[in-house]
Amino acid sequence: MTMNKMKMTGFETSSPGEAPLISVRDLHVRFATPKGQVHAVRGVGFDLGKERLGIVGESGSGKSQTGRALLRLTAGNGSIEASRMMFDGKDLMQASAKTMRSIRGSRISMIMQDPKYSLNPVLTVGKQIAESCRRHENVSRAEAKRRALAMLETVRIREPEKVYSLYPHQVSGGMGQRIMIAMMLITNPQVMIADEPTSALDVTVQMQVLSLLDDMVRERGMGLVLISHDLNLVSSFCDRVLVMYGGRIMESLDAKNLDQAQHPYTRGLLNCLPRLDGNHDDLPVLRRDPAWLTEGDDVPEGGAA
Amino acid sequence: MIEIEDFSITFGSGKNQIRAVRNFNLSVAEGESYGLVGESGSGKSTVLRAMVGINSHWDGTIRVAGEALTHKRSVESRKHMQMVFQDPYGSLHPRRTLDDTLSEPLVIHGLDNREERILKILKEVGLGPEFRFRYPHQLSGGQRQRVAIARALILEPRVILLDEPTSALDVSVQAEILNLLSALRKAHGLTYIMVSHDLAVVGHLCSRIAVMNRGEIVEEITEDQMRTGEVTHAYTKQLWTASQGYDRAALETFQEFA
Repeated sequence: MTMNKMKMTGFETSSPGEAPLISVRDLHVRFATPKGQVHAVRGVGFDLGKERLGIVGESGSGKSQTGRALLRLTAGNGSIEASRMMFDGKDLMQASAKTMRSIRGSRISMIMQDPKYSLNPVLTVGKQIAESCRRHENVSRAEAKRRALAMLETVRIREPEKVYSLYPHQVSGGMGQRIMIAMMLITNPQVMIADEPTSALDVTVQMQVLSLLDDMVRERGMGLVLISHDLNLVSSFCDRVLVMYGGRIMESLDAKNLDQAQHPYTRGLLNCLPRLDGNHDDLPVLRRDPAWLTEGDDVPEGGAA
Repeated sequence: MIEIEDFSITFGSGKNQIRAVRNFNLSVAEGESYGLVGESGSGKSTVLRAMVGINSHWDGTIRVAGEALTHKRSVESRKHMQMVFQDPYGSLHPRRTLDDTLSEPLVIHGLDNREERILKILKEVGLGPEFRFRYPHQLSGGQRQRVAIARALILEPRVILLDEPTSALDVSVQAEILNLLSALRKAHGLTYIMVSHDLAVVGHLCSRIAVMNRGEIVEEITEDQMRTGEVTHAYTKQLWTASQGYDRAALETFQEFA
């Protein structure tokens, strides 16, 4: 597969030949609001293999809604439409609420941005991890606890026994995020959607959390969707990057070729980052072109010209 | 312009005592832009909060323009040092128009020509006069941070303390705010102290940078050292490496600094 063709389609996974874990075509998410309809995701399409896929964009670009739509976690006033949304041979568009419950958290997990708000403040973290295990598999309390402790060790928490009985307010941000990851990994999912998992963390802790996710992709063959606004981070961590703007995919490219991005939006985003080796000159300001929101309407969905 | 000597702050007492900042010394010249970087809990924001008088129980000396600050600050002494906070969503009163928000410091300090001053400052931060009677919820994050900067600037201070001014913003908006800050500094000869956990942002705006860990300055580096990464302290080196992006090999060498 040539580089050029990859850029054109965005549907090629990093491991060609294997069937993709998730395949999405022409995904639309719309929200009904008192002020009229908001079209948050407009015709997004991509394939996810056993790889690290990054979705980057600014706030409001629809990147989080794309991730949430996969798990049908869109808010009540939202509607999801797609010509194709397949996970491991199952059509997620046709799946019943019951089927979705059996997939959500068990085969596809999601890590939210802020552990402070996603953990239950009145349960110890250990109980919450064990609950996730018991909910999805028929195991005894003792077995769930044993697996929760093992999981805490996997995410490199030093004293699992001690941390097991702590409440969320007693743990630091980095540890909270590791606990979230432990909770999501205990069911051994095939796909993990991580929505800004590290943006609330310090840079060194961020690296440690990412290395955990990296291990899961390498050792367990998991598919990872990393949603982030941090271009540098995504380009250094992921295999492939989708750049989103206004609910559309502007460009899809190999992470290592990010600095050769063609699309003016991607270039603009890269240029307006302050650089460690830069000078004090004014940063170039990103100019947005309304034409980006209509371009490619005549070519298949998600394709950035 | 600013001299801080033997500065320390302790929270709590007995076994819950936390020495948030200790042995802190700092000297910033007039018109300079100075950066404080460190991870959460390193005490960088605490220093700023003590300087503007939010934390009042510090020990040591803080001198601004040659005058030592007292623990109980007079209204006049607060005028020359203003602060811009991290979260533009939390730092503006949701039920007050921008006009109210910007008038309040003028009323407190008894300044006249309020209308004229407000219109002038809105123009300077790149917002038109049409924004004057809007509420914060009608503005984007970048516009709100512009209002927060206008509120700090309207008293014509000589020192502005910036506490992570861009960390809640998108990168494109961050570039606009950083450009605005450096233009304002040139135009008014302001002295900045900027706190951030993002080395690239601090390196862009500041010429000297102090790296803090666990309440102490571990190293002071220049912008050139920042660019090349030729830093001496192991903690600074680790922070610098982590800011370069994800690197599995480098991660193995990371250690805890207690």
